Amino acid sequence: MKFVVCVKQVASLDEEFELLEGGGVDSDFVEWELNEWDTFSLEAALALRESGEGEGGEVVAVTVGEQEAEEALLACLARGADRAVRVWDESLQGADPLAVARVLAAVVERESPDLVFCGVQSSDAVTGSTGTALAGYLDMARVAVVTALSYDAPSSTLTVDRELESGLVEVVRIGLPALLTIQTGINEPRYATLRAIKQAREKPLVTYGLEDVGLDAGAVGVAAGAHTIELQTPERGAGAQLLDGSPAEVAARIVEIVQERMSG
Amino acid sequence: MSDGGVLILAEARQGELREVSLELVSAAREVAAGVGGRVAVAVIDQQAERFANAVGADGVSEVLTVTSPTEHFEAHVWQRALEGLIERERPAIVLAGHTIDSLGFVPAVAARLGLGFAADVTAVWWAQGPRARRGAYGDKLHAELDFPGKSCTLLTVRPGIFAAAPAGSGAAAARAVEIDLDGTARTEHVEFRDVAIGDVDITKAEFLLSIGRGIEDKDNIPRFEHLAERFGATLSVSRPLVDAGWMPNARQVGQSGKTVKPRVYLALGISGAVQHLAGMRSADTIIAVNTDPEAPIFGVAHFGAVADLFEVADELERALG
Amino acid sequence: MPGGGTLLQAAVKTRPVFWHLSVGLKIAWYALAVVSVLVFLYGVARPFYKWSRGRGGPWPPYPWRELPARLWRGLQSLLSHRTIARRDRLAGWAHRGIFYGWIVLFAGTVVLGFNTDFTKPVFGLDYFHGNFYLGYKEVLNVLGTVLIAGVLVMMFRRGVLRPRKLDYTRPDRAPGEVHLERRTYRVGDWAFISILLVIALTGFVLEGVRIAMSHPGYGGTQFGGWVVAQALSGVSSATLGGVRHGLWWFHGLLAIAFVASIPYTKAGHMITSYLSLSLRDPLAGKRLAVIPPERASAPAGYGQLQDFSPLHLLQIDACTKCGRCHEACPANATGRPLSPRDVVLELHEQSNVAIGGVLGGLMAGRLDGGGAQDDAVVGQDGVRTETVWSCMQCNACVEACPVGIEQAPIINQLRRRLVEEGELDPNVQSVLQTIHKSGNSFGERNRRRGRWTEELDFDVKDARREPVEVLWFVGDYASFDPRSQRVSRTLARLLDRAGVEFGILYDGERNSGNDVRRVGEEGLFEDLAEHNIAAISECEFQRIMTSDPHSLNTLRNEYPVLGADWQVLHHAELLLELILAGRLDVGGRLSYRTTYHDPCYLGRHNGVYEAPRQILRELGCTLLEMPRNRSNSFCCGAGGGRIWIPDEPGQERPAENRIREAVALQAVELFVVSCPKDVTMFEDAIKTSGNAERIELRELTELVEEALLPAEVAATT
Ligand SMILES: Cc1cc2nc3c(=O)[nH]c(=O)nc-3n(C[C@H](O)[C@H](O)[C@H](O)COP(=O)(O)OP(=O)(O)OC[C@H]3O[C@@H](n4cnc5c(N)ncnc54)[C@H](O)[C@@H]3O)c2cc1C
Ligand code: SF4
Ligand code: SF4
Repeated sequence: MKFVVCVKQVASLDEEFELLEGGGVDSDFVEWELNEWDTFSLEAALALRESGEGEGGEVVAVTVGEQEAEEALLACLARGADRAVRVWDESLQGADPLAVARVLAAVVERESPDLVFCGVQSSDAVTGSTGTALAGYLDMARVAVVTALSYDAPSSTLTVDRELESGLVEVVRIGLPALLTIQTGINEPRYATLRAIKQAREKPLVTYGLEDVGLDAGAVGVAAGAHTIELQTPERGAGAQLLDGSPAEVAARIVEIVQERMSG
Repeated sequence: MSDGGVLILAEARQGELREVSLELVSAAREVAAGVGGRVAVAVIDQQAERFANAVGADGVSEVLTVTSPTEHFEAHVWQRALEGLIERERPAIVLAGHTIDSLGFVPAVAARLGLGFAADVTAVWWAQGPRARRGAYGDKLHAELDFPGKSCTLLTVRPGIFAAAPAGSGAAAARAVEIDLDGTARTEHVEFRDVAIGDVDITKAEFLLSIGRGIEDKDNIPRFEHLAERFGATLSVSRPLVDAGWMPNARQVGQSGKTVKPRVYLALGISGAVQHLAGMRSADTIIAVNTDPEAPIFGVAHFGAVADLFEVADELERALG
Repeated sequence: MPGGGTLLQAAVKTRPVFWHLSVGLKIAWYALAVVSVLVFLYGVARPFYKWSRGRGGPWPPYPWRELPARLWRGLQSLLSHRTIARRDRLAGWAHRGIFYGWIVLFAGTVVLGFNTDFTKPVFGLDYFHGNFYLGYKEVLNVLGTVLIAGVLVMMFRRGVLRPRKLDYTRPDRAPGEVHLERRTYRVGDWAFISILLVIALTGFVLEGVRIAMSHPGYGGTQFGGWVVAQALSGVSSATLGGVRHGLWWFHGLLAIAFVASIPYTKAGHMITSYLSLSLRDPLAGKRLAVIPPERASAPAGYGQLQDFSPLHLLQIDACTKCGRCHEACPANATGRPLSPRDVVLELHEQSNVAIGGVLGGLMAGRLDGGGAQDDAVVGQDGVRTETVWSCMQCNACVEACPVGIEQAPIINQLRRRLVEEGELDPNVQSVLQTIHKSGNSFGERNRRRGRWTEELDFDVKDARREPVEVLWFVGDYASFDPRSQRVSRTLARLLDRAGVEFGILYDGERNSGNDVRRVGEEGLFEDLAEHNIAAISECEFQRIMTSDPHSLNTLRNEYPVLGADWQVLHHAELLLELILAGRLDVGGRLSYRTTYHDPCYLGRHNGVYEAPRQILRELGCTLLEMPRNRSNSFCCGAGGGRIWIPDEPGQERPAENRIREAVALQAVELFVVSCPKDVTMFEDAIKTSGNAERIELRELTELVEEALLPAEVAATT
């Protein structure tokens, strides 16, 4: 079996960050890491490959991102992915989920895997759309927000738990090829040692430009669903009253508020 | 080219209309004028007509029903149905809820039809074209979006932001739209299961002490159990603590956990991700303690303290004697 | 007979060796002796082959040219019994008796054999008479008695005193599981000392019978034999002859059988323990092994026996089951499923089973077949994962082991493999990820590392920008933990007051890697070490000081292997220096009754025991010692990454155990520590053990400042 795992290097903002003129965030205040959801989806692919059912399969990690995103790919290779592909073009700066999905679709098409794994969402953009849009481009069967999966080799079907709102789960069956967007908590992602990360540098990691996957900036631009006019700092706590002072003072106020509200 | 108007996609599950459907009607009002005033609500269901009356709220011009061949939501059927609706009705703006069901097909529709698209938007308006606002960097910032060059824009709207229009308050006519959906299903429903059954029912609690990833360590849980007991509160948690196996599902607040509405919700070390807020934003009084002044939780809190939760917890223990 | 006569008789006194033995029996006897020696030699040689196959280190463990000196030093330790008598005087004396008794009796037999079988038949030279013979008899007699006394003491100890450390029940196995009690070991031990006793006793009886037969009424100084002879005085010569004959064979056969069995039984420690002791590494546990370049792409650490270093393979065969490490281990003392002894024995058993066959199984004390060469050593039937993770890497076991076994480093190697296989606590996993990402275990942006200085009313120099006298490596806890930050500021004020030119690295510093390495994440350690070494090498300074013993250990003992070459001090050492030089006038102003906790990584790992104590005395405090002090100090439970692993609820934590030890001291007021992790662990334990009313915690630095305050007041008024 062949698996493609789509991953993203996500940005998290420092508690005290500064906005640049023109809307971006000063990169000094941004930390990068592999998207939390993707650690679970990678693990799901690796686990399926290691289980008797998917034995001997190949796991390919794919990302759309700048040079720094190779860290995310290395993290995947270190955990056990066999190969990694990074696609980048300057025109992809700030790309929206549809544009990213368009690029991923071009790569996945070439790989023609049996299963595509994506995270439900990325912790920075939080659109929850990339995986499903990718399935749309590929016209692939898919289930979103998966919290459990088991594979039945003879019938090539997956039985998965689809997590719904309010603690409800729907169990569905889906045949291959398919795309799943994976939810946190589905498994325990393995640890990649630093040695493994260093050794991962020996594994194949290719970088493509858009033309290498048969696209160009124009095609991606057309696919894009939205354009960001500007980033703003939201007015925080318009309604929130700030409790300041020492921890003891804060605690005293909290006790007071609670007592007042609970008795009222 | 579009014929203008807003198309709303209602949502139902297990025979019940979901609240977000009516919230979308309110959201549509913000943009309807810009696109010619027409607001149609579409319902896809095996017996779509049964919701026709309810979704026909004040401000709705027409109700469209699409009969689905499957009893329950099926992502591929719904995708085809929505594609069919857009192709036939040619709306300028399509609104759907940012819900789990939507996550499975709405982005695919946008991708396949080349629509303007944004997910989880918290505001929509019209300024020579549709505009939307959504979070960025995990809701620490806001992004303002436009959709240049798109004749149709599909938006998923965050539930709980717009007030729901009263059900059945209008008098819109219903029209069945015939779309051939046979054979489009690609998954097979097996069953529904409730995974959040547990020892306590946090939805009944009047006072919730809720802890998140900020508590760092499984070791620290007993401390907060103790604090909750002292305080007369019920302990609830954010999802990562459930994912880590530290606490049972039944204690989770949020979209995939329980929706709670206590008198007081005291959140310690919870950032306030949208899926968490979905479960607690309507608590009467929300108090948040977080070291990060930019944490989105402060956006919904009534009282906020930028402080270390452990220090505050220690002091609370002391204050409670 | 009075002493004067013996000399005269000495000229004719000798001993008929093969007294009335037929030629056939004589040949049989020698054939058996030769077989015994061959079996012995085979038994000795075989483990060498096994050890040499370990791939995790060099064979021989040290270059050949170093071996003679090491073996000589090992011999010195052995002869002095220094390591054996330490912390157990009784066992020390008894073992000396057995050791010297056995050596001399064995040598005596060889000397005799040499005479009868070599010098006499070949050269006609018979030295076995006269004064030599008499002296020989005297010595053998005395040491035979000593041997018997030693054996009896040991039997008394095992049978009556029954110290906890000799209880072989495994804490890593639940009641009802196989191998829980290790009956075979108990049987083997008793067999071993019993056989020694029987051999020694029959020797005496034989002597007595001989005296009774040939010199009735003989009253020489052969005490043991004489006693027996007196007892036999009435027995007829014929009967005695028969008895003597039978006994001779019994004694002789038992002895040669024993010799043959040495390498295969507990007696094997005569060889392996000596080798292990000789090859001991004085830095064991203080400086863990780097991964040799040729193993860079192999899986890290020990997963199977073949991954072990030859030295560690030898060591796991050298355990005497003395239980000292078992007794010293804080994990074991607080009910965790770990005893370093049982880790060593489990590995030893697997290693013996790996030899194969029934013999291997017998030697392993188990016949369940588990543990072949390429089976995983960690597992449900081997060393259990939770056992490996229970270790605090406190080195108490290494320190206690009389034969130089490196339990803690071996456990560390097991961890390296577990980490690589992802068998680690999720908490540890996320902390390691955090350290990798942010350079500290607190998950704080490293940019904030120097924030604790902001509340000071002077600027702390950035050692990367200007030269300093003392470069202060602050460490994670002292930089980020709010309670320890207070201590850091106190220390900064003291240094400033004493006029020390000091600076810190600010965000140039990373976690030192001491705990990371002890958790078994060697790659991350290398990364952190490289970073810190590079950062420090850019600075101009004379000495490094750190307020964190864990960092101290790594900077002092581990970074040098990676190219660092600095003098590294703990703040207690520097403070003492400043006090003695009069730069901090503390003048004995305090009068607290204190007790001092030796941090594992300051005391045991780095031998700094006196500086903190002397400071307390300079301050005027009374120092009460806890029973477990200095090298026998009891770990707070934070070491080896345990601070990141949740404890099972309901278990006594090591820190609580320690606080109970402290409050048992008469009227003690303060629990003084000199490690930031200790501050955290013990301040919590004082509360959780319900002793908040009885004892308070102070960091040494805080006491020094307290002692200074009156001086300040005096100076300004
Ligand atoms: C489909 C879907 C459904 C989901 N359903 C839910 C759900 O039902 N419920 C839910 O909770 N989540 C849900 N999530 C996950 C959600 O997106 C977030 O990942 C999650 O809510 C984050 O939890 P948190 O706030 O505890 O952790 P984080 O976002 O990691 O926040 C931890 C916070 O603690 C603060 N902090 C850290 N240390 C301290 C300290 N010492 N003192 C004070 N503050 C401190 C930090 O500043 C931070 O703000 C869902 C996600 C998806 C995709
Ligand atoms: S290092 Fe300490 S905790 Fe670990 S086995 Fe040795 S004595 Fe026990
Ligand atoms: S390892 Fe050392 S201290 Fe422990 S029981 Fe064996 S010989 Fe004794």
